[in-house]
Amino acid sequence: MSRYVIRRTGAAIMTLIAASIVIFAFIHLIPGDPVYVMLGDGATPEQVAALRDRLGLDEPLVMQYLIWAGNALRGDLGVSIFFETPVTQVIAEGAETSILLASVTMVWIILIGVPVGILAAIRQGTLIDQGLSGLAMLAASLPTFWVGLYLILIFAAGLGWFPSSGYPSIFEEGGLVNLRYLVLPSLALAAPNAALILRLTRASMLDVAREDYIRTARAKGIRPTRVVLRHILRNALLAVVSAFGFTFAALISEAVVTETVFALPGIGRTVVQSILRRDYPVIQGVILITVCLYLVINLIVDLSYRYLDPRVELE
Amino acid sequence: MNLRKLIGGLALSALMAVPVSAQTLRYATIGEPPSLDVQMGTATLASTISQHMFETLYAFDAANAPQPFLATGETISDDGKTIVISLRDGVMFHNGDTMDAEDVAASLSRWGEHGARGKLLDMESVEATGELEVTISLAAPNGAWKSVLAFVNGGPVIYPAEIVSEAAGEPIAAENYVGTGPYQFGELRPNRYVELLKFEDYSAHPDAPDGAAGERVANFDALRFIPVPDVGTRMSGVQAGDYDYAEYISGDLYGLVKDDPSVQVKISAAPIFGLMFMNSEAGPMATNFKLRQAVLAALNMEQALQVSVGEPELFEATGAYFGEGNIWHTEAGTDAYNQGDPEKAKRLAEEAGYDGTPIKLLVSTNYKAHFDDASVFTRQLADAGINVQMVVVDWATLLQLRAQPSEWDMFMTHHGTVPDPVLLTMMNDSYPGWWQTEEKHELLADFTETSVLEERQAVWEDLQALMYEQVPAIKVGNLYSYDIASPDLTTAWESAPAFPYFWGASK
Repeated sequence: MSRYVIRRTGAAIMTLIAASIVIFAFIHLIPGDPVYVMLGDGATPEQVAALRDRLGLDEPLVMQYLIWAGNALRGDLGVSIFFETPVTQVIAEGAETSILLASVTMVWIILIGVPVGILAAIRQGTLIDQGLSGLAMLAASLPTFWVGLYLILIFAAGLGWFPSSGYPSIFEEGGLVNLRYLVLPSLALAAPNAALILRLTRASMLDVAREDYIRTARAKGIRPTRVVLRHILRNALLAVVSAFGFTFAALISEAVVTETVFALPGIGRTVVQSILRRDYPVIQGVILITVCLYLVINLIVDLSYRYLDPRVELE
Repeated sequence: MNLRKLIGGLALSALMAVPVSAQTLRYATIGEPPSLDVQMGTATLASTISQHMFETLYAFDAANAPQPFLATGETISDDGKTIVISLRDGVMFHNGDTMDAEDVAASLSRWGEHGARGKLLDMESVEATGELEVTISLAAPNGAWKSVLAFVNGGPVIYPAEIVSEAAGEPIAAENYVGTGPYQFGELRPNRYVELLKFEDYSAHPDAPDGAAGERVANFDALRFIPVPDVGTRMSGVQAGDYDYAEYISGDLYGLVKDDPSVQVKISAAPIFGLMFMNSEAGPMATNFKLRQAVLAALNMEQALQVSVGEPELFEATGAYFGEGNIWHTEAGTDAYNQGDPEKAKRLAEEAGYDGTPIKLLVSTNYKAHFDDASVFTRQLADAGINVQMVVVDWATLLQLRAQPSEWDMFMTHHGTVPDPVLLTMMNDSYPGWWQTEEKHELLADFTETSVLEERQAVWEDLQALMYEQVPAIKVGNLYSYDIASPDLTTAWESAPAFPYFWGASK
C-alpha cells in the first residue's frame, strides 16, 4: 500500500514537471503581448521597451521558464502583470468562490442525481423511468448560460428570491447568508452534471443487477430493499464515485460560463480574462494548480477504490 | 485556505450578519480595471474610477471648457511658451498633507516624462516657483494646453511629490494611491471589486458645481466598482436591485430597457466612433491616397452601422469628427463620407493603379462592432473590385500585430470623444498607421502654435478636410453607448459623460 502511494506520487511529480513545461510553452506561443494590452493606445515605443524590460519579457524563454519554475517550487507563483498583486493572492481570491460553488453544486448533484438514478433503475422501463430519463436528457442538453440567464430572470429579476449575480465572500458582512448568492449558479451548474450522474447511476445499477450473485441473493430470499441497497448499490457506486472526483475537479476549473453569467469572482473567469490580457503568471499559476488538483483527486479516487471494493489490490 | 480559518470565519461571519450599507454605490463594470495610476494609462474604466480619487489642475465645465480646479488661474508669456499657474490654497491629500507647488511640479514632470499622454505638451521643464505657484516652460506654444491639463484620461493628475518620485516610470502601487479627490482608495480585490471611501477632509472647490468643475460633493460613503462581464447579467442585476448603475449595455437590449420602469436609461453624451486605420508606412496603401479614396468611396456607413449597432436611436452616420454644438464641429471634407458608390470606387482604384493585390484588414472579435463593420466593408469593397482579406485575431494579438507595419494594411479600432483635436490618435505620428505627411505637419504646427480659438477652428477645418483627402483613417460613424441606472439613483448629469462621475449623486 505505502509502496503504491510512493510510486503514484513519483509519477504525479513527473506529470507535473511535464505539464509545467507544456503550459509554459503553449502560453508563450500565443501571439499577443501583455505590454500592449496594459499600455493602451497612447504607448510610445520607449514605454513599450521599458515595460517589457521591467516585466522580464525580454529574457530568453528558457530562462523565463527556469526562473518561474524555480520560484514556483518555493511557492512563489510570481506577480500578476495586470493586477500587480501576487498570483497566489489572485488565485486565493478566486479559490473560495470556486471551491464553495463546486461544493454546493456537488451537494445538488449527489442529492438529485444518485437517488433519482436509483429510482429510475428500480422502475426500469416504466413510465417513471422514461419520464426521469427524458428530463435528464433535457437537463444535460440545455446550455448552462441559457439556464443561468433564465434562473436570473425568474428568481432574481422577477421574484426577487435570490440575488442576481456576484458573490461577496462568506467572511464579509452577511456571513453564511452570502451562500444564497450561490444558489442560482449552483443549480445552473448542477443541472447537466446531475443528469450525467443520474444516467451513470442508473446504468451501473442495471449492470450490477444482471450479475449472477444478485440472482443468487434474490433466490436466497433476501429482502428486495436489502438487495438493492446492500448488494447492487454498493457495487454500482464504484463507477459513480470515480465520476464524482472528476466532476468536482471539472466544476472548479470549467465553471467559466457559469462564473461569467453570474459575475462570480471564481477561478474559471480569472483564467479566461487573464488569457485575453496575456497575464502569463496568472494563467500559468492557475493551470499549474489545476493540474495538481487533478493529480491529487486522481490519487484519492484510486485509493478510495480500496475501501469501496476490498477485491481491488493496490500494488 | 486552511480549514480552521474557514470554520472560524464561518462562525464569526454568521454572527456578524448585517445588511450591505445602503450608502454604497454599486457600479457594475464591463471588466476589471488596469492600474488606477491614471497618468500612465488610457483605459476608460481606470479613468472612470480614479477621477474620484485624483484631480487635475483644470476641469471641464458643462460646456466642455476647461476651468481652474486645483489651479486658481494662470498668466502666459507673450511668446506663449511660459505658463505660470497659481494653485488653490489648503488642498488636503488623503494622507493628511497639504498640496503645494512641489507636489504639482513633481506630478507634472513625471507625467511629461512617463505619462501616457505626457508628450502632448512637449514641456521643457516644470518648476515650483513659489509656495503655490508652478511655472511650465513649453518647447513650442500649444493652444490646447489647458484642455490637455484638464483631461483625466492618461492625464496629469496630482499626487504627493514623495509618491511620484518613488514610482517614477512605474505604475504607482495600490497602497500609494493618494490624491486630493472626494473619495480615497479603499480596497482592491482582484475579480471582486474596487472600493473607494468618502474622504471626510475633502477640500472642495468654492464655486458651484458646473460639469466636472466647481464643487464636488460626496454623498455616498463608498463607491464599489464590481466587474460583471456578461451584459445580460449587468442588465438584470440593475433590474433586480443588486446594482445601482451598469455600464455599456448592448444595443440589442435597448428595446427591453427603454420602457422598463425598473431602470433609467443613460445614453452617453460622448459618442464613440469606429475607425479603420490605413497603413502609411508599408504596403499598397502606404502612399497611394487615390486607392484610399477608392476605399472610402465604396463604403456605405449606414449599412455597416445597421449591422453593428442596429438600434437607430443609438447611431448616427456622420463624417464630422466633432458633433454639432461642439466648438470643433465642421463639415469640411465630409462630402467624401458615406458615398457607398462602387462604380466611383472602381474608377478611382483603376486610376490608383490597383492591381487586385489582397489588402489585409486586421480586426478583432473582442469588439463585435469592429468585426461587423469589417465584414460589411469587405463585402462592399468586393463589389467595387477591391480585394480585402480579413485577418481575424483577438484584441491582444491585434495590439501586437498593428505595431508591425508589415503585418497589415488596414485595421479596425474605435475612438472616444476628446476635448481637443490634438487628442485624436491620428494626430500622433507614432500611433500605428504612422500618418506623418508634410501637409499634416504644417497644419498641425499652425494648429498648436496659437491659442486663439477662431484661428484654431479655421486650421482644424483644413485638417479635417485633409483627413478626407489623405485618408489616414476612415470614420465609421457615431455610436451612442448607454448605461442603465436604478430608478432611485440621481446623478449630477443627465446624459452619461465619457467617464461617469458620482460626486453630486445620491440614492
